Amino acid sequence: MEHSRPQWTGARVARVEDARLLSGRARYLDDLPLPGCLEVAFVRSPHAHARIRRIDPRLALAMPGVVAIWTFSDCPVRLLQSGVYPVGQPALADGEVRYVGEPVVAVFAADRYLAEDAAEAVEVDYEPLPAYVDLAAIVEHPDWAVHPPVDNRYVHREYATEGFDQAFAQAPHHLRVRFRTRRQTAVTLEPRGAAAVFDPASERLTFYASTQSPHRMRGDLAKFLGLPDHRVRVVVPEVGGGFGMKANTYPEDILVAWAALKLGRPVRWVSDRMESLLADAHARDDIHDVEVAFDGEGRIWAVADHLMADGGAYPGYPFSGAVGETGLAAQVLTGPYQIPHLKTTIDCVFSHKTPLGAYRGVWGPIASFVQEGIVDRVARAVGKDPAEVRRLQLIDQFPYRNPAGLVYDPGSYRDSMELALKAIDYDRWRDEQRRGWREGRYLGIGISVFVEPSAMAASESGSIPYEAATLRMEPSGKVTASLGLGPTGQGHETTMAQLIADALGIAVEDVVVLHGDTDSAPLGGGTGGSRSATIGGGAALTAAERLGEKVRRVAAHLLEADFEDVVLAQGQAYVRGVPSRALPLAEVARIAYTDVARLGPELEPGLEVTARYRPPLPMTFSNGTHVAVVEVDIETGLVKVLRYAVVNDCGTLINPQIVEGQIVGGVAQGVGSAFLEELAYSEDGQLTTTTLLDYRLPEATDVPPVEIQHLTTPSASLGGMKGMGEGSLIAAPAALVGAVNDALAPLEVWFSEIPITPEAIVRAVRRRAEAPR
Amino acid sequence: MTEGANQKTTAEEAVEVALEVNGTVTKVLVPSRWLLSDVLRHRLGLTATHVGCEQGVCGACTVLIDGVPTRSCLLFAKAAEGLAITTLEGVLDDPALQALQEAFHRHHALQCGFCTPGMLLTALAMVRQQVPAEPETIREYLSGNLCRCTGYQYIVEAVAEVLQAVDRGDPAGSPALP
Ligand code: FES
Ligand code: FES
Repeated sequence: MEHSRPQWTGARVARVEDARLLSGRARYLDDLPLPGCLEVAFVRSPHAHARIRRIDPRLALAMPGVVAIWTFSDCPVRLLQSGVYPVGQPALADGEVRYVGEPVVAVFAADRYLAEDAAEAVEVDYEPLPAYVDLAAIVEHPDWAVHPPVDNRYVHREYATEGFDQAFAQAPHHLRVRFRTRRQTAVTLEPRGAAAVFDPASERLTFYASTQSPHRMRGDLAKFLGLPDHRVRVVVPEVGGGFGMKANTYPEDILVAWAALKLGRPVRWVSDRMESLLADAHARDDIHDVEVAFDGEGRIWAVADHLMADGGAYPGYPFSGAVGETGLAAQVLTGPYQIPHLKTTIDCVFSHKTPLGAYRGVWGPIASFVQEGIVDRVARAVGKDPAEVRRLQLIDQFPYRNPAGLVYDPGSYRDSMELALKAIDYDRWRDEQRRGWREGRYLGIGISVFVEPSAMAASESGSIPYEAATLRMEPSGKVTASLGLGPTGQGHETTMAQLIADALGIAVEDVVVLHGDTDSAPLGGGTGGSRSATIGGGAALTAAERLGEKVRRVAAHLLEADFEDVVLAQGQAYVRGVPSRALPLAEVARIAYTDVARLGPELEPGLEVTARYRPPLPMTFSNGTHVAVVEVDIETGLVKVLRYAVVNDCGTLINPQIVEGQIVGGVAQGVGSAFLEELAYSEDGQLTTTTLLDYRLPEATDVPPVEIQHLTTPSASLGGMKGMGEGSLIAAPAALVGAVNDALAPLEVWFSEIPITPEAIVRAVRRRAEAPR
Repeated sequence: MTEGANQKTTAEEAVEVALEVNGTVTKVLVPSRWLLSDVLRHRLGLTATHVGCEQGVCGACTVLIDGVPTRSCLLFAKAAEGLAITTLEGVLDDPALQALQEAFHRHHALQCGFCTPGMLLTALAMVRQQVPAEPETIREYLSGNLCRCTGYQYIVEAVAEVLQAVDRGDPAGSPALP
């Protein structure tokens, strides 16, 4: 088939989603009109660990507007992923609370104000118990148990390359570092929420969810509520950000659905900000104890890492963030470098803190922070420029099998670094830096060459190694597409329409993309793990090709031409080389549906297909390089980012503008990760950062302008796309931390913990100044 | 299950609040502790005003009060009586707002859109004040509106473009389209 040149793929098409969002007409979960709806307020645990002696709801029950008050026995569900984890979180605490913020009692009332009043009046008598809070201490105390008799170290894995010990021992130089990432969380601007309505006429439950995985949510509800899945419809309204955090099914989701069934009224819960900081999935609570073996040139021979993660009180459902963070970090720890030997030990432990789930990048930002931290330290140890040491060992032969056994498809690792260094004017900044040091000015350059394993068969969106699309050309010749994706701001309605429009020779405005409704979309994995453009895009393309074939068959029959000779372009089907022998698609479609006598006996009426797409490789690797130039004020500890350059390679770009939006947004989150964001716990397990004043997000004045260039090494997947939703947050913290360490080199200050706060900088500089020389 | 004594939803005591919203005075009966953001959203159906924190930090709930960007989650509705309240719904016909919408669209200044109404109203106040089109100044003005998705850059570019058009004296700040 002759393909006309793609018109839409690769173009900076402004998003079709924007109109409703810019006019305030979009409907997020809390905007849905649900007449007669009950609102939920939760009584949450004020203790990190306590036995519940007694719950007395009597006072609360008598309060105005209160309809019901539930404890565990009213909704006896445990979010247990059996066969994977030893325990699961109960929908409401069952006799014992294990983290501050754990839901204990659910109060249903006429509105949220009344529900909260009543929640405050519920008396819960707790007997406080000792709490395990500090990750390092928990790892050192195997006898501490959050769920006795279950082994507190709920995941333990060991791995080593053959010959590791020998290689490690023979290397001329060694160094050791402990890297620490402090707890952070996604903080979507729209808080989490859920609503449910049971329709007694159809005996179906409609569940409105602010989620990334509509079908997974349907499956979970069916399983926990004991309903057949075709009696559950999940509808995802507009979602105000997800970043992995909305990939879980949470206790509150189950409660809301169960209540709608039992109370016979619509029920809605929308998290307030304090609740979301307490009870949204947390992330990044990890320690890496690393030993590196290298030679005098700066070539790294072997890396050993003890990876530890604090999974919180229960495994997040259906996946534990601790396992995701360590499991994959252990596999991509050598990043873009040819390091032959690797040894990893993983320990995931329970604590009396909020469960860990996903936050954009999951393992990536941690692994990059460790990997680039290692390279920078090796460079300093051998007295070489950090870029030079990277050049020594960047991978350049593909496919490349890393020491953990992952196979990288082709990428532009070396080119991306060279281009990024050139973009930033690396040598000039090195000169500036030296001049600055002489004048007491601390400039630093940080380099982060990243790998982003994307479009994995099994991601946080479920172990569904494919996506599906249903495409229908309507009688008017316009197209309705339906996908199982769960976009949360990524613009899939635009990018999927671009792919479909090109494959059918029509305009983007002639395609409507539906998503997030399990009644219209074929079963799919949803959005997460940077899989939508690659796997979802592959499904859209496959379905569009098949629909195109159907259209061409009908057109060929009507035009009395050979099927092979019929081409679709500009809204028409025409005979190759004879543009006058053409039919508008509207005519072809009309006949296919409503004038079927003209189809003859062979052709099936209608123009509708469902296709599934499974990529040829288990994953595809995006790559790129971030370079940051910062200035550190050692008096105030403030870091100013002076320049920030990104070279990104995600294969085929469907829409460069959307890709750039993802990159800039990820860099901003990287600024938060590197310098601002920490969920701080007191020793007794109280979360002390429960407002956005304490948990500081980057503001417009905190983030630098980002200069972006693209390289294009297509993947083997249909269309050549690679996933790229996470790469910028994977790379940015490492670049920023590297730049700060580089700036402070003359003071011999190294940071190996994020976030690096101004206080930490001032403290470290002072400690250095006071240290005897 | 423990059932409430008040199966038939008893409302708490309500007061009459007269609000001037988008040029029209409307009377609503609400409990006196209701926040302006809740009354706008849940009583008047003006859901362009979003609630991201109710802690006065995120700016998603920004409305204009007597023309000044203000957090509607920090104000009791009762306290807003007698003030001129403008939500995004009230300025959709304003050419300056339309210029901003158009610039946001072309510059990809929004992703999930949750912060967008608040951003637009803050930007509209900047256009009306004829704030200089310097990126640093724009960032300062926008620093009270959090966006978790975009990293702000394209918002700053979009606002700068409209402010430049205002500088040039283009009617209503509508940017000259290429
Ligand atoms: S909701 Fe008002 S400032 Fe966040
Ligand atoms: S676009 Fe999502 S918060 Fe700004």
